[in-house]
Amino acid sequence: GAGGGNDIQWCFSQVKGAVDDDVAEADIISTVEFNHSGELLATGDKGGRVVIFQQEQENKTQSHSRGEYNVYSTFQSHEPEFDYLKSLEIEEKINKIRWLPQKNAAQFLLSTNDKTIKLWKISERDKRPEGYNLKEEDGRYRDPTTVTTLRVPVFRPMDLMVEASPRRIFANAHTYHINSISINSDYETYLSADDLRINLWHLEITDRSFNIVDIKPANMEELTEVITAAEFHPNSCSTFVYSSSKGTIRLCDMRAAALCDRHSKLFEEPEDPSNRSFFSEIISSISDVKFSHSGRYMMTRDYLSVKIWDLNMENRPVETYQVHEYLRSKLCSLYENDCIFDKFECCWNGLDSIVMTGSYNNFFRMFDRNTKRDVTLEASRENNKPRTVLKPRKVCASGKRKKDEISVDSLDFNKKILHTAWHPKENIIAVATTNNLYIFQDKMN
Amino acid sequence: MLGRGLKRKLSDYEENMAGLSSAFDSSRSLPYPLKRQLMLNMCLTKLQTYKMLVEPNLHRSVLIANTVRQIQEEMRQESNQQPVNICPGIAPSSHSYTGMDSSGISLQLPSGISPQESNCCDLRSVEDPIENSLLIVSDDDMSSAISSILKDLDFVEDISPPTCLVPTGDDQPKFPENTSLKLEDDRQDLKGAECVFGSFEISNSTSYLKDLAIDDIFEDIDTSMYDSDFCCPPLMLPRSPSLATEEPLKTFPSCNSSSANNIQLCRTDLSELDHIMEILVGS
Repeated sequence: GAGGGNDIQWCFSQVKGAVDDDVAEADIISTVEFNHSGELLATGDKGGRVVIFQQEQENKTQSHSRGEYNVYSTFQSHEPEFDYLKSLEIEEKINKIRWLPQKNAAQFLLSTNDKTIKLWKISERDKRPEGYNLKEEDGRYRDPTTVTTLRVPVFRPMDLMVEASPRRIFANAHTYHINSISINSDYETYLSADDLRINLWHLEITDRSFNIVDIKPANMEELTEVITAAEFHPNSCSTFVYSSSKGTIRLCDMRAAALCDRHSKLFEEPEDPSNRSFFSEIISSISDVKFSHSGRYMMTRDYLSVKIWDLNMENRPVETYQVHEYLRSKLCSLYENDCIFDKFECCWNGLDSIVMTGSYNNFFRMFDRNTKRDVTLEASRENNKPRTVLKPRKVCASGKRKKDEISVDSLDFNKKILHTAWHPKENIIAVATTNNLYIFQDKMN
Repeated sequence: MLGRGLKRKLSDYEENMAGLSSAFDSSRSLPYPLKRQLMLNMCLTKLQTYKMLVEPNLHRSVLIANTVRQIQEEMRQESNQQPVNICPGIAPSSHSYTGMDSSGISLQLPSGISPQESNCCDLRSVEDPIENSLLIVSDDDMSSAISSILKDLDFVEDISPPTCLVPTGDDQPKFPENTSLKLEDDRQDLKGAECVFGSFEISNSTSYLKDLAIDDIFEDIDTSMYDSDFCCPPLMLPRSPSLATEEPLKTFPSCNSSSANNIQLCRTDLSELDHIMEILVGS
């Protein structure tokens, strides 16, 4: 449990989204991502919208809290589409958002649904030119005969307007559903991965992409494994990894061959025979893979645990953290109601010392790699007061339930936290419940 | 072939399944074969449900198919190793088929009965409700369930068409339609179409279409119009648009001629033309 002088004390900061329990399908949050500075926080939802929050400038006198996040821009990224060839509707749900590092005044991000990736430019306009010679302020042309003097138009301040415009649309390259996008450290290329293939794109070129991984068998009946996530190495621009439904991670080097079907490294932990069950393979399926900021480690999330791998050691992870081991005895029920297929994400803090992931009942978990302590917290509107320290939660697996503990059978499996994000520099976290976004901060002084 | 199963409402079925999975999770006394059978049924039910979706989820389908394969392999090994086996399913009786007709699921049941059934009499007494809801599933059924859902997920693609399909060994389904599709020529545009149509294999749906002869389907269409003596050129595939427009003219070549005989023939033609017009107009 939590405790000790160095442990972070998390406080509620803000919550965004509708209050009522009746969740509109379109409002279901499907991805959360901080930008590289942490100043902007983007969310995508099932309705194809992107909402970007901006942290307000820190007030130096208010030392007890960091700036709040307020809505900066909202736009419709993807619309529902219909594939006439296959008679299929293409969902507009945003699967992933990835920010590009900032190069100029504008911000750029990639957002993707199942089939199409889009590059969006978000730019500010806070000045406008005034004093044209031939046009009135409302745009109408002036009668030239009324012009008696000439003047130079000047820029005058206006109310801040944030505009989002699609700059590139990368379409028609994926037959199966896109599950990941990842920007290369060269900041010129990026990869997109679906169930069976990974493609490499150049950010400037939309009519062509290179297929770098293809695991589709000649005969689909032989298919036994799919790609579940992929990511570029944060520093090495020719290295990327992809995870599979069989619990393996393959590291590939693009310099080795044009088609990276042969991995450079294969990370796989041998199965624990004492834990073998009918569900072994299903729960070993990796739902997320994330490199540490340093690039030395990578983290994978499977149904019951989080594993940290050293890139130099392929045969087993260096650390394993149990997220909700008490669910192991409930796997059949979770299989029956499809919860066993839920895809939880995971994330690192800026220092790579703590990892975080979500669970059910609106619980989320953090594991401190140094102290080996872990904590379970809850995202709930009941802890609504700012600067209230969150109380750690405990789930009682079996036997006598202590006071304040929650028994496994009373967990709400409809309240799942799949998406979490950690500010790249500060102890600020964004946690998405079904349709609400919670922001927590550590208690300062 | 549908058994005379009890027709159960879907909600009852769901409740039953939830109860069964709780029993699976909590009961330590549930014998392994029963657990396995339960697992198998859940997997096959899910696969069938996914098949009915417009776009099945590839990730889930593969995971479930692998679980079925794993169970299938286990059962095969058992039947190979031991002559007197643990029964792979519960002995069938009149209620060997669940009332899942309402959802349109149809696994073909083997017409024969598993020879190992005699060994499972003691299992029958264990838990009747569970027993009543389990299917007998043969090896073939499992293979066909796996292959049909995976074939469904093979989309027609322009990007990278698959190389030639090779018929593989014994874990391929035994349906003749399947084999003939696999051994077809390698022309890739056709192959793509076949993959799409593979998902609509008659063998995997209810069998009434197979039983009917083609002629029976068209029985109720009135073809008397086509039986007349009116000279009609045999239907040809249109070779080009220009030819198609020329054909009606060819039908009445005699009308163009100015000879007396031809005028005579022309009149006959015209009256027949009137006749046709009457039919078309429906007077």
